[in-house]
Amino acid sequence: MDAMDEDGPSQQGQRVRSTVTAVRKSKGRGFRDDRSGREELYGAYEGLDGDGTSGPLKSVEGWVVFVSNVHEEASEEDLHDHFADCGDVKNIYLNLDRRTGFVKGYAMIEYANQQEAQQAVNSLNDSDFMTQPIKVTWAFSPQPLRRIENRPRR
Amino acid sequence: MPGFTEDFYVRYYVGHTGKFGHEFLEFEFKPDGQLRYANNSNYKHDVMIRKETYVSQAVLEELERIVVDSEIMKEDDRNWPEPDKVGCQELEVRRNGEEISFATTKLGNLLQVQQSKDPEGLRIFYYLVQDLKCLVLSLIAAHFKIQPI
Repeated sequence: MDAMDEDGPSQQGQRVRSTVTAVRKSKGRGFRDDRSGREELYGAYEGLDGDGTSGPLKSVEGWVVFVSNVHEEASEEDLHDHFADCGDVKNIYLNLDRRTGFVKGYAMIEYANQQEAQQAVNSLNDSDFMTQPIKVTWAFSPQPLRRIENRPRR
Repeated sequence: MPGFTEDFYVRYYVGHTGKFGHEFLEFEFKPDGQLRYANNSNYKHDVMIRKETYVSQAVLEELERIVVDSEIMKEDDRNWPEPDKVGCQELEVRRNGEEISFATTKLGNLLQVQQSKDPEGLRIFYYLVQDLKCLVLSLIAAHFKIQPI
């Protein structure tokens, strides 16, 4: 018997059910509750189109890189100092862990042009930042990362 | 750092129906990197915001790290307050063949968490959804230059 069998009648047919591995264990009220009457969730979504080439996706006002393994005591100023070598940093997003108040571990850096952001991805990935090697990549992608198999919910 | 898993999926919904109609915020990350964000606030006739984009592998991995570190998959919503007139929050996560689909009411503050029947589990949920919202709102703000909410 498939674990899906426990789901009962479901209104979630329009949601993508994408599992490479079969679900072995399900837990929670969501598998029981009726969620009909939420049709407004399924309208058209608006996105930004790339230029048709592969590579990064431009954001509305610039190019955003994603930084992970950021030191928990890092400040925006520390990040600015580290990333300003590659170009003019337009914006920094640095979020805190809501429970501890320390840096959550990631940041986003926005540059005005692609060359600057590319330079950050090329030269600052794996660089040491406050004693930790950081990972620097693009934040957004113009296309899906992989094909997902859609398995309809019964 | 947990290894990244190919079936990783996250959805969060918070909403209620009141004098301004059905107001809600919902987002989901699919395993192919698609991030969808919807926010409907009818207050002062605000319009529905619906945005979608694809995030990179690194963003998905960071999201997965946050979810795994929280240990939310070990919790159960059995003893959490039921969704009610105040509102509803739903969190759905699939990873490595396990899935959770939790639902509870809106949690206004930590006191409400502490006075519940499962303060430890509910606290994990309470902080995790804030951290997830924080990540998503920054991604949406950085990419679309809108100030969500």
